[in-house]
Amino acid sequence: MPAKRHAASTASAPAPSTTSTLSSGPATLKTNSSVLDITSHVWQQYLANTAQRTLLLDAFMAFLVLVGGLQFVYCVLAGNYPFNAFLSGFSAAVGQFVLTASLRMQTSEPGSGSPSKPSSKGKNARFADEDTEEDTGISHERAFADYIFGSLILHFFCINFIN
Amino acid sequence: MRWYLALLVSAFAAAVNALSSSGSRLLVVLDDTTDKSAYSILWSDLEGRGYDLSFESPKSDKLSLFEHGERAYDHLLILPPKSKGLGPNLTPKNILDFMNQDGNIILALSGKASTSSAISSLLLEVDIHLSNDRSAVVIDHFNYDTISAAEKHDVLLLERPAPLRPDVKAFFDGEGVLALPHVAPQTLGSNSQLISPILRAPATAYAYNPKEEMPSPDDIEATGSQLNVVSAVQALNSARFVVLGSVEALEDQWFSGSVKAPNGKKVPTVNREFAKQLTGWAFKETGILKVGKIEHHLATDGEVAAEDMNPKIYRVKNETVFNIEISEYSYDKWVPFEVPAEDELQLEFTMLSPFHRLALKPTVRTETSAVYSTQFTTPDQHGIFSFRVDYKRPFLTNIEEKHEVTVRHFAHDEYPRSWAITGGWVWIAGLWSVIGGFLAFVVVWLYSAPVADKVKKTQ
Repeated sequence: MPAKRHAASTASAPAPSTTSTLSSGPATLKTNSSVLDITSHVWQQYLANTAQRTLLLDAFMAFLVLVGGLQFVYCVLAGNYPFNAFLSGFSAAVGQFVLTASLRMQTSEPGSGSPSKPSSKGKNARFADEDTEEDTGISHERAFADYIFGSLILHFFCINFIN
Repeated sequence: MRWYLALLVSAFAAAVNALSSSGSRLLVVLDDTTDKSAYSILWSDLEGRGYDLSFESPKSDKLSLFEHGERAYDHLLILPPKSKGLGPNLTPKNILDFMNQDGNIILALSGKASTSSAISSLLLEVDIHLSNDRSAVVIDHFNYDTISAAEKHDVLLLERPAPLRPDVKAFFDGEGVLALPHVAPQTLGSNSQLISPILRAPATAYAYNPKEEMPSPDDIEATGSQLNVVSAVQALNSARFVVLGSVEALEDQWFSGSVKAPNGKKVPTVNREFAKQLTGWAFKETGILKVGKIEHHLATDGEVAAEDMNPKIYRVKNETVFNIEISEYSYDKWVPFEVPAEDELQLEFTMLSPFHRLALKPTVRTETSAVYSTQFTTPDQHGIFSFRVDYKRPFLTNIEEKHEVTVRHFAHDEYPRSWAITGGWVWIAGLWSVIGGFLAFVVVWLYSAPVADKVKKTQ
């Protein structure tokens, strides 16, 4: 029911008239700001409005992208022998990234950082002042346990496959 | 299999008496008993080599090549009959049946009288052709005996034949001059691998029918070395069939006679030695190959244990050794077989088509056999393979060996470990950094303060 949620979010948004995506920050950005200003503004907004655990998740995902990218570049440059090692190492990075992204979807809600403001992910905005656990039906602990379980299976397969 | 049994039996018999490798019962078909005395040296030579000779006239009612469906004789020597044909007991079909049951045949022809159509049709079955009127004689004005054929030039004087090809073993060579009177020439069909010439007429020879006019050049089918004096057929079951163009060459007078070529000296003939070579080959005293032990195993440094010999299964990329033991029969004993210098004994490792075709090299030599070996790496392809040795050469019996083995792929734990391959270290590091990163993430996640949640929950 994304449409309904979207409607709800727009209805509860307090300041829909400000700049489109960055509704929550202090309105210091002018319409004719330079690209650099916009970028640093977005970055400041991100740091200010994101929960610590979500920041941690994002840092880990960035690390995974870096590791996966390096392995892929090495494969392109040095050839794919032994191929199972490449598949294993690269898919470990990709799989871990996917699992981490799932965990982020299940645990990050904008309310934790700045409960009064909706974020660009409008679907959570409606529940900003409610308990998130009742929303998705999955508690953070449960999501984290699932994440560990999936990750261990992934690692088991990858270590086995890399031989 | 039956052939091996016959070999075993005859090898046992050979211990008693020097003998052919395939039996001693020799039937001589000749027209009447007056002929018999003309070949007395030949008969005594054959008996001296252990043959039991029986003489029959083609007209005899008792003459039968088979008894209770089995061969009654091991070998057959047919001298040209004076009458037409060989009679009802020696039809071409009977003679071919005899060959199909591993019987060996020498068929002698003569240029003195025309050959019967029954013999001509028998020869057609094995793709040997006589001249059209079946009564041609080979004449050579340069290689004839000046003593006996000063006028007619129809007694050929020939050297004993050299090997047919450089890669073929010589069974009929030697010093001396052969006298071949009144040769009925044969020509060989070009598309049969089973027939091979033993002795060809010299390049200066030609064939003509003395009772007719010289034919026009258009009617001449073959001249010179296209004409065969002696030709041989070895069937797929290694039964042998020899056509000798000149039966008189076997007579006593030519065994011990002397001849003189134009511009040459008077020399004794070597017909007797040649007859021994010819009958010895035809009746399987020479050119017989026997396969002894066949062994294959994984290549190891030391001795191979008995249970590791001839395994049913190999793995891809195994170093494999193959050995085959081959003996050759030479008149009265088994000797080590030696491959002719320009020839090669080859091993094929095949699945449908050969993946390997390798030369087998002699490694071990015993008193009676030679062991040929090769070593190779099984191909990177799993399936049912077979070791094959297929050796078919003129004048040698056929070797056709096939031994099936399974070639399996690598088992899960037979690949090299990943850290043994330096190229994979980057990906190993990648995998473990992901796992390490995951663990660090979990620890930090668990210790990161979930302040917001607590605040909310207290609310």
